[in-house]
Amino acid sequence: MKKTSTIYQDGDHKWVAIVRDNERPGHLIDTNEYLVMHGGKAILLDPGGAEVFPAVFSALAGEFDPSALSGIFASHQDPDICSSLALWLEFNPGMKCYVSWLWTSFIPHFGGTADTFVSIPDEGMDIALDGLTLQAVPAHYLHSSGNFHLYDRQAKILFSGDVGAALLPHGQDGLFVENFDSHIRHAEAFHKRWMGSNEAKRRWCERVAAMDIDMLCPQHGAIYRGADVRRFIDWFDGLTVGVLHG
Amino acid sequence: MSTDLLRIVRINEEIKAVVGVAFKINIMALNAIFLAKRAGTAALGFGVLSNELRVFSQDLRTCMGGLSGLIHRCVNEVSVVLQDVRNTKLLREAVAGTSRPELGLALKRRELANGEHQARLASLRRQLQRALEDAFQLVELGGVLAKSAKIEAAYGQGFAGALAQVSGEFDGIVEEIRNSLQALQRSEFFK
Repeated sequence: MKKTSTIYQDGDHKWVAIVRDNERPGHLIDTNEYLVMHGGKAILLDPGGAEVFPAVFSALAGEFDPSALSGIFASHQDPDICSSLALWLEFNPGMKCYVSWLWTSFIPHFGGTADTFVSIPDEGMDIALDGLTLQAVPAHYLHSSGNFHLYDRQAKILFSGDVGAALLPHGQDGLFVENFDSHIRHAEAFHKRWMGSNEAKRRWCERVAAMDIDMLCPQHGAIYRGADVRRFIDWFDGLTVGVLHG
Repeated sequence: MSTDLLRIVRINEEIKAVVGVAFKINIMALNAIFLAKRAGTAALGFGVLSNELRVFSQDLRTCMGGLSGLIHRCVNEVSVVLQDVRNTKLLREAVAGTSRPELGLALKRRELANGEHQARLASLRRQLQRALEDAFQLVELGGVLAKSAKIEAAYGQGFAGALAQVSGEFDGIVEEIRNSLQALQRSEFFK
């Protein structure tokens, strides 16, 4: 059963993290889903795989009426990101899925019709949520070749997909990063192997360093907040990625 | 099955609203106790009832907590069955297009697992229905207490107006919860 945790709230503008499924089988990588609510609407970021659909759906339903969910944002095409898409669409067939144009004919293998997908161009785009503007920020080749993060300027939160992800051992899997130096050890191998391009990484670091961010929320592991956001960007900037071993 | 999921989501939303109202009742019961204390001997009967209302509000909270847990499990189980329906449909289509017996066996295994999930859901459905009936009985008792409090308020002399207002509000909210629970019991989810 997944837990929900409100990480930001200002009136009806809310970010809820859906995390840490203690009943998840060990062979399944743990994922974080995020729900952004504004007005009476909400968008679900990286809804997760088909296997975790019941856990994510029931946790979300405790926080928000799922029938008012207006869309899904998929940072990229991986199964742990959106293989549950067909099940979400069974419940709410009119829901939109925002994803890189690169994947709009690949992701339908998970489900959806031609009307389901909203293509995000390479340069990114604004996504409206009942009066709130969210920004799809390019993060191509980090790790997917068509990859986006989602920035909420008002909440100062960046959903960063696989960037910032950490594979945390049991017992050290708190919601927030508490000790950056010990945490980052669990992120290093992941970033070296999964992130394929040093050039793309440099461009992302430059872009993100110029943004006003209070929280950096990855799809796996713990959330970086406050000074740890900058620490992470600097650390990532200095890391050589696209490395098979070491 | 997606209709079933929609029904259970509707029940969940209604229960969330009822839980919110039930929390309000707790505060109201406390106010009633304070008011009865201030009124002193003029509101002895109301004082006894306000204590009972407080106990009722706590019982209602516990009952709503149980309902919330149960509904969460129901939403989860209906989602599992929704997964089953999709997987089974895909397997059936594959079986129809091939003569391989292994696929037929895979479909049988799938259907066996579906049966277990359906049985689990049926059991949860019955538990939820019973829990709603229990909650309804509890709220009926609350309604009787609120109505008695309204009668006692009339004997409150100088405090009669304030006591009537508190007991009237209490009665109104209990009625609101009662109507919600009654509507939930009639949900298509239980048919």
